[in-house]
Amino acid sequence: MAAVRELQKDLEAKANDLSKIQKDISKNHQVRKKYTIQLGENELVLKELDLLNDDANVYKLIGPVLVKQDLAEANANVRKRIEYISAELKRLDSTLQDLEEKQNSKKEAIFKLQQRIQSLQAGKDKA
Amino acid sequence: MGEPVKGTVTSLSSIFAPEDAQKASVHVQEVISERQKEVQQLQAFLNDNTSLVNLVKKLPDQLHHDITVPFGKAAFFPGKLIHTNEFMVLLGEGYYAERTSKQTIEILKRRGQGLESQIESLNAVIKDLKFEASFFDETATEAAEGIVEIREDYVEEAFDEDKATTSGEDDFARILSRIDELEKEELESELAEEGEEKEEADIEPEFRNLEIKESLDIPVSKDSHIKVPTPNGSNTPVRPVDHNKSKESLPRAPMSRDEVEVSTLASSSSNVSSKTRVAASSSSNASSKTSVAASGSSNASSKTSIAASMSKEVSNFGSRSSNDKAFTGSIVEHTHNIESSQKGQTSAPAPTPASKPVSRFKLQRK
Repeated sequence: MAAVRELQKDLEAKANDLSKIQKDISKNHQVRKKYTIQLGENELVLKELDLLNDDANVYKLIGPVLVKQDLAEANANVRKRIEYISAELKRLDSTLQDLEEKQNSKKEAIFKLQQRIQSLQAGKDKA
Repeated sequence: MGEPVKGTVTSLSSIFAPEDAQKASVHVQEVISERQKEVQQLQAFLNDNTSLVNLVKKLPDQLHHDITVPFGKAAFFPGKLIHTNEFMVLLGEGYYAERTSKQTIEILKRRGQGLESQIESLNAVIKDLKFEASFFDETATEAAEGIVEIREDYVEEAFDEDKATTSGEDDFARILSRIDELEKEELESELAEEGEEKEEADIEPEFRNLEIKESLDIPVSKDSHIKVPTPNGSNTPVRPVDHNKSKESLPRAPMSRDEVEVSTLASSSSNVSSKTRVAASSSSNASSKTSVAASGSSNASSKTSIAASMSKEVSNFGSRSSNDKAFTGSIVEHTHNIESSQKGQTSAPAPTPASKPVSRFKLQRK
């Protein structure tokens, strides 16, 4: 009886862990979505900046004011931003993979625990 | 047939429950509606974009425009729009660029193209999803109707077994290949020549070929086989009767053929019954050939193929069980042929059954 209770406690803890991991995964998905959108936008900006003439005036909105920027500087900034976002996306991918692995292992562990509890209960019923 | 049933029958509803299929369909429908919403949103963006393009095009037409300027949330005051050819275009990510009207329109057009491509891809996705949904629907209805899935393994091994037990494998293969050759020859000759009379003529050399291949006693068999195709002419009614009545005269031909064949096959297989079966199949083959001669019509080629396949089947199933009529039921002559030839299995190769179907067939024809 005590053993079964112990196992059930263990199972509960594992289930909690699993739900936590799943939450992390969904969060990861959301962040990734955001970053992908940003990446798309930045690529669009870069394309437009490339199409601009060298003497075009480019401004950056910082807070409530438009700050004049050099075209080359803006270009470099956008490039850097794209690089950063790409790196971030990669990082998110790897963490996602990690989380999924963890999730699978947790699922397996929970399944095994459930089986053990079942077998224990079946044995008790017989006895 | 004594064959064990090899196929498995499972009802579709046991694999895909109708409710599940329906559920899946509903789910796909939901996804479709979601995507359609997205498309609508994009379409709205595109419309906004085009109207903006029109506005930007129109603005520099005049030096200044009278407008009401929004002031706060609820107030407006009259004002003037000047510098109508200077635009501050948001490129995204907080970057703005000073552009003229023309340049702005270019930028906006590029954006419109991007939107259009997005809509296109979404529409393609929706099309795929719709197809999927219809498939799920179909599956659901099929499962509800109680359609069953029949699975059957390809059973070539079964034939091999039968051959191994009843007749030599090489004999069987030999007969099949010969039938194929005959088919080919017939097709070729029919392609080359047309008309009934010519066809009649064809059949004779064919049989000769056959005999040469088998290294038969040519004069005897040739004699008989010339007789066989000729009934197609005017004197047909007489000869078949002859065949039937005087069994000693005509049947000699098939008999001699069969006998020789048996002797050739004897080296390869020791089983007597297998020999007779081979003989039977070959005789049935002969009868099918003659039937072609009798028909002598323009679509003779198709008939030959049918006859050949029939004889193939005959040889297949004849080796399996003697009472197997199921596959030859469509053509009466053939069933009769097999039956009679297989009745005479244990005794002599039975010349009478070999000749009988020919004559009978002819009688029925005329």
